[in-house]
Amino acid sequence: MKGITIDDAAIVMAEADTVATALDDLETGREFDLAGYGFAVGEHTVTLTEQVEFGHKFALEPIAEGELIRKYDEVVGEATRDIAAGEWVHTHNVESTRARPGDESDGSDDGESAETDAPAAATEGER
Amino acid sequence: MTDSEVQIDPDDHTFRGYRRADGRVGVRNVVAVVPVSVTASAVAERLADDAAEWVRATPHQMPLDPPEGARDQIETVLEGIGANPNVAGALYVSLGTERIEADALADGVAETGKPVETLTIREEGGTAAALDAGADAVDRLADEAREARREDADASELVVAMECGGSDATSGIAANPAVGNACDRLVEAGGTGVISETPEFIGAEHILADRCTTEEVRERLLDAVDRRERMAGLMGVDFRGAQPSPGNQKGGLTTIEEKSLGAIAKGGTTPLQGVISYGHRLPLGGGFVVMDSPGYDVESVSGKVAGGAQVVVFTTGRGSTTGNPIAPVIKVTGNPNTYQRMTDNMDVDASRVLSGESVDAVGADLYRRILSVAGGELTAAERHRMEEFAINDIPPKELAALGDPT
Amino acid sequence: MTPELESADAERGIAQGFEGYARESRGPGVRNTVVVLPSVICSGVVAESIADAVPEATVTPHDHGCGQIGADKDQTRRTLLNVSENPNVAGVVVVGLGCETLDSEALAADLSLPVRQTAIQTAGGTDEAIEEGIAAAEELVADAREQGSHREQFDLSDLTLGVTVSDLADSTVESVTPAVGALIRRVVDAGGRVVVGGLGPLVPHADSADDLTADAETADALRDALERHRDEAPPTPLRRSAGDRDPTDVSLLWDREPLVDVLAYGEKADHDAGVAVVESMGGFEETSTALTAAGAQVVVHGTADGIPTGHPVVPVLKVTGDPDTAAALADDIDVDAPSASPDELVEGVLATADGQETAAEGHGLTSFAISRAGPSL
Repeated sequence: MKGITIDDAAIVMAEADTVATALDDLETGREFDLAGYGFAVGEHTVTLTEQVEFGHKFALEPIAEGELIRKYDEVVGEATRDIAAGEWVHTHNVESTRARPGDESDGSDDGESAETDAPAAATEGER
Repeated sequence: MTDSEVQIDPDDHTFRGYRRADGRVGVRNVVAVVPVSVTASAVAERLADDAAEWVRATPHQMPLDPPEGARDQIETVLEGIGANPNVAGALYVSLGTERIEADALADGVAETGKPVETLTIREEGGTAAALDAGADAVDRLADEAREARREDADASELVVAMECGGSDATSGIAANPAVGNACDRLVEAGGTGVISETPEFIGAEHILADRCTTEEVRERLLDAVDRRERMAGLMGVDFRGAQPSPGNQKGGLTTIEEKSLGAIAKGGTTPLQGVISYGHRLPLGGGFVVMDSPGYDVESVSGKVAGGAQVVVFTTGRGSTTGNPIAPVIKVTGNPNTYQRMTDNMDVDASRVLSGESVDAVGADLYRRILSVAGGELTAAERHRMEEFAINDIPPKELAALGDPT
Repeated sequence: MTPELESADAERGIAQGFEGYARESRGPGVRNTVVVLPSVICSGVVAESIADAVPEATVTPHDHGCGQIGADKDQTRRTLLNVSENPNVAGVVVVGLGCETLDSEALAADLSLPVRQTAIQTAGGTDEAIEEGIAAAEELVADAREQGSHREQFDLSDLTLGVTVSDLADSTVESVTPAVGALIRRVVDAGGRVVVGGLGPLVPHADSADDLTADAETADALRDALERHRDEAPPTPLRRSAGDRDPTDVSLLWDREPLVDVLAYGEKADHDAGVAVVESMGGFEETSTALTAAGAQVVVHGTADGIPTGHPVVPVLKVTGDPDTAAALADDIDVDAPSASPDELVEGVLATADGQETAAEGHGLTSFAISRAGPSL
């Protein structure tokens, strides 16, 4: 799991990845020139459309709703809406692809149910 | 000693440890005071608090009379703690009416050749009397423990537990890969590297499954993951509600797959040789193995130590400060902010990977650090006396629905 | 209490009340404790270090707060909040780690008594958090000392008595049950409240919910609570032997007084008088915490085993009917049920409320545990 650093400010874990991880708090408008890295997404320049915090991800190319997100050259989630290149990628536009245990048996709630109140709790009182 | 001062000799796999009667080598020389049930935990803690150096208690909340299906697991852990080679001698404390018998545990531990005693509160005549008698027992055990001396040993005699807690995005990018590198070195030197936290395989289990050496191991692995998922299902809960946690998410981890892919990196790249049940004996010279445990850190670490792990390497992005009463816990962080803010509670700065240093170099440093800690260097958690301990309990609903896990 | 009874009691030298600590918007406290409350297992050691350094502070370390979701997390949170608001508590220092599911800042913000807060990651390390915590605890202790210097007169009607019996051994059923029943009768007759912890013995008797309760709403709540636990793992001895008994025998513990409420684990009691039961299935350590959260100022613990530990927030009176236990653990037991009269029991409770140390407070060892509503994840 080597990872390729771009500009000391972001890291792409594998050449086939469609997202990069910020290594700093990145401002809107920050540009990343992908030329010369051999990434599957291409050689274009990615411009951040919004702020991306340290450790968070941004898209290296447009990702359509329903498309799979790749990191570590593996699937890490599915887009729940269209994502532009340079957009912050996180729980607001991605969901897990893992089958839910409650699914077949009792037809329990979909992914964004009250049970997943962890995201809600994350916002209440978070520093 | 800073990392840059460590002489990296890739061919040196030695350390000096306490060789016990059963041949296993301890990296610490602890007198363990182990309560058999929650009713004896307070006495055990007080005895350890009042005693001289290196007496440690493992308080927990297991009941006087656990349901049958849960009893085996508790007994296994309680005995395993006493049997861990870091323990020079053990005192099992009970109220006297527990379903689990202190004598049975003590007998099991005595087979390793180390001194073991029991203390029964009712037989002594109450709390005050038990504290007196217990202090004497602890003194006797400590006196004997003091005779032990470190001898030459090497990495092939180590079982190192890898754990991650308070994870963020740097865990999978920097800290865990460095630990995985150290794990590979350990396995190559003939040691055992164990990871656990079964829920954190979800989304990455195919990678681990591919590395399994036999079909049987592969099945055990997938069964363990399946069982943990069904357990959450019993609560009517989507596992994704718990994983990643709010702290993980704040730190950049979006899905359980992303977290798991980052988490399994701590297991390195060598073949997966076995799947061990919670708290059960870990093999010497076993290569890379997995122990089935919850993702809950304190229970997970306690289970691996009960299985015989002498050293714990614990990665944390957000800054977990937990330790263990009988095994040194080495804290590794890949988050430069965390390392800076909480330097005194951290041991290894793996954020060097983010600033360009190779995973290989940081992994080599970490491997050397493991050997140094094995030889006596205190970790931050030890200096701060951070000693958390908890036993994974199988709740009644799960017992009823899923049966005995082993 | 009527004037006749009052003077009769006074003649017999029986205490009529106790001196307690008046609290704003909470019942009177019988202790004046500053609690250092870790919100998660990972801040337990720091919390303990703080309490060790501040003599009048006590600590409530537990194994939870991490990796919990849904009802399980809610239960732990509710319990920690209501334990903090127990009338015996003068002030709280909440100690967190920073990445756990139970946010310590949010927890502190929800408390209505004097409270301070620190977290390991925010403070910049364990030493820093300990330093902050000690300063906070000392402040609260100073305040508590000042306010606690004048106590007021209260009586049984101001008391919420917590009751838990850990087993259904013969000795317990023969002598502890009637003794505690008589005590509860006196408290209820005086207008006080009682909360009984432990649903175990009632689980086989869901059908008798109507007979056991004062109204239909409580009957439904009781029935629901009992059904929830019916299918759990093989019944513990407590429940097993309860099944053989008549349900009304089980209620002898509270003198057959119709139950007026069923509390969730960790919930605060809000009935005015009479007996409520709390949905706690665990042992003494977990149930005493539920009683504390319910608002009990004193707990009576019936135990044939002689479980000796007290509780960091409430004084616990140990009662046994087992002669071996009474002999073996003489210094850890407060009441030998067969030889105690109801008057003596009431006296004991009032004396404890008034400040007399229980056996457990004498040796100082306590336990604190919270019941889980789900597995570790």
